[in-house]
Amino acid sequence: MIQVQQVVRDYHTGETVVHALKGVSIDIADGEFTSIAGPSGSGKTTLLNLIGCIDSLDSGEILIGDQQVSTMDKKSKTEFRRNNLGFIFQTYNLIPVLSAYENVSFVLSILGVPEQEIKERTMRMLKEVGLEGMEHRRPGRLSGGQQQRIAIARALVKNPKIVLADEPTANLDSKTGEEILQLMQKMNEKYGTTFIFSTHDVMVMDYAKRLVELHDGQIISDERRQ
Amino acid sequence: MKFLFVLAFRNIWRYHRRTLLTASVIAMGLMMYFLVDSLLVGIDRESVCNLKRYETGSLQIMQKDYWEDRTFMPLDKAIPSVEPLLALVREAGYTATGRTQFAADMILYQQDFDEDGNLPVQVTAIDLSTHSEVFDLEETLIAGRLPEMGSHEMVIGSWFAEDLDADIGYVVTLITRGNGGFYEAMDMEISGIVRTPNPAVNRNGILVPIDTMSEYLALEGMATEITIALPDSANVELEEQKLQHLVAQWEVPLTVKSWDEVAYDHVAMIEMEKSSSSVILFLIFLIAAVGISNTMIMAINERIRELGMMRSMGMKDGNIQLLFIIEAGAIGLIGSIIGILIGSLANYFLVTYGIDFGFLMREMDLGYRIQNIFYGAWHPQGIIITGIMGVVLSVAAAYIPARRATIQDIPTCLRHQ
Repeated sequence: MIQVQQVVRDYHTGETVVHALKGVSIDIADGEFTSIAGPSGSGKTTLLNLIGCIDSLDSGEILIGDQQVSTMDKKSKTEFRRNNLGFIFQTYNLIPVLSAYENVSFVLSILGVPEQEIKERTMRMLKEVGLEGMEHRRPGRLSGGQQQRIAIARALVKNPKIVLADEPTANLDSKTGEEILQLMQKMNEKYGTTFIFSTHDVMVMDYAKRLVELHDGQIISDERRQ
Repeated sequence: MKFLFVLAFRNIWRYHRRTLLTASVIAMGLMMYFLVDSLLVGIDRESVCNLKRYETGSLQIMQKDYWEDRTFMPLDKAIPSVEPLLALVREAGYTATGRTQFAADMILYQQDFDEDGNLPVQVTAIDLSTHSEVFDLEETLIAGRLPEMGSHEMVIGSWFAEDLDADIGYVVTLITRGNGGFYEAMDMEISGIVRTPNPAVNRNGILVPIDTMSEYLALEGMATEITIALPDSANVELEEQKLQHLVAQWEVPLTVKSWDEVAYDHVAMIEMEKSSSSVILFLIFLIAAVGISNTMIMAINERIRELGMMRSMGMKDGNIQLLFIIEAGAIGLIGSIIGILIGSLANYFLVTYGIDFGFLMREMDLGYRIQNIFYGAWHPQGIIITGIMGVVLSVAAAYIPARRATIQDIPTCLRHQ
């Protein structure tokens, strides 16, 4: 369970203050497939970054499970992310000098998983995302959709509790975007991983089982779907 | 850990041109260090060798009082009855000869030198029967011959002869004070001219027979010093202690001094020149450090989003820093290998052919006891230091940029274009 309570986040640019989140509160249950939707500057990415422990809030609190992540120090946040969170980025953020296999397996390496287990889990995950036989290819030799599949495999290979995806289909054409969403949905159902993804694309919103809309740093609607 | 090494080496290859360029800067710096070190070691070795072989010997025995006033060369503080002492030293297995140094005024005459004149000189009176056992003089004669015992003949250095426009058979008068303070004038004929590998001898050397001087200056078997030659492999410090022990009970208080104590000015000057070379080397390394630091800053800026991703995945800051330090260390290693290889090649020529500084040594007294060609030397310790320094320097120069890689907050890294 993720509990976001009265979270405020301001950004200061010179003398200008941007109120990115103005007291946002939301609870997300385990295994939910939630979309945070809203126009640019509505605070979607800020909310994801705060839940993902890569940004700090100004007030309020965030609990993930029974852990108060908003008050954790830098080192604890790093450890928490390493053990519990997976990330998918709009621009994939793969390491260009590593193969598909290495891009996925390094997440397990930093967790200290034994070599043999790394191999088994990585290969299984690459197969799950449809990249079997492409494990030796580097990102530069793969399409955008295939690269995002690697990113999904990378996010899921360590069996995280939560996967945070910031505009995961924004760099893809609609067909590939749909394939990626279907894959995410499949993984959500198969592994019970909580997925939270931001978007401003209506097609993407349609895939969400829960749609939370943000506007000017505030939640304006929260709708659960079948 | 293995992942960090794989990633570091792939990144080095990914930016291979930049890697090579940075490694070249490091290689250049290290090669300069290598060559300067080789030259300094070579100069040092040869200079010391020439100093001992033509000027000071390895050890000298003097009266304690003479050592303290040696700059004035006081004859009244010379070792009395030197022969028994020489016999004692020789019996102990040492090769030794007696010498007497004194200051004099040299008078030049118009009939030989075109015009009358005089100049202050330092004269060394040598025992011709034993001198060649300690000093290599005979084979350095370029004109004439060595003086005969008891003669009024002398040998002078080649540059000194050139400066005076002197030749064999020319006569000069040496005026000095004898033992007891009386003035004495001695007419001496130039019988030989020597050109040694030691410029100090060539520039100032005046050698006269000790028995002639003993008579003129009322030395009565005295010598200001006993000079001892030791093999190159000898432990000078140990032999100095042994000799000190041997002469401890002599009738007058004696002291044994090693060549570096006698030629302390030469040693101090070499040390000073090494220090100034270190400043140049520091600047070379500074350039190499700026190069590697700049490369690391560029690498970090180019991969800032990649770093943001790795940090968001939970990679420790220490591992991110280690990644860049491995990269820098590897670039340093490549630079070191290139620097040592090219440096070794260049050093081969330096060791074999050397650099001719004869034009400089003739006109200027740099203090080195080398006449013209400065040779390098193979100095394994220097080569090892070169290699280690290349890696250490690179790692040190990368440390601050590597730390910077983890200071920026993750969302900013991920937004980086």
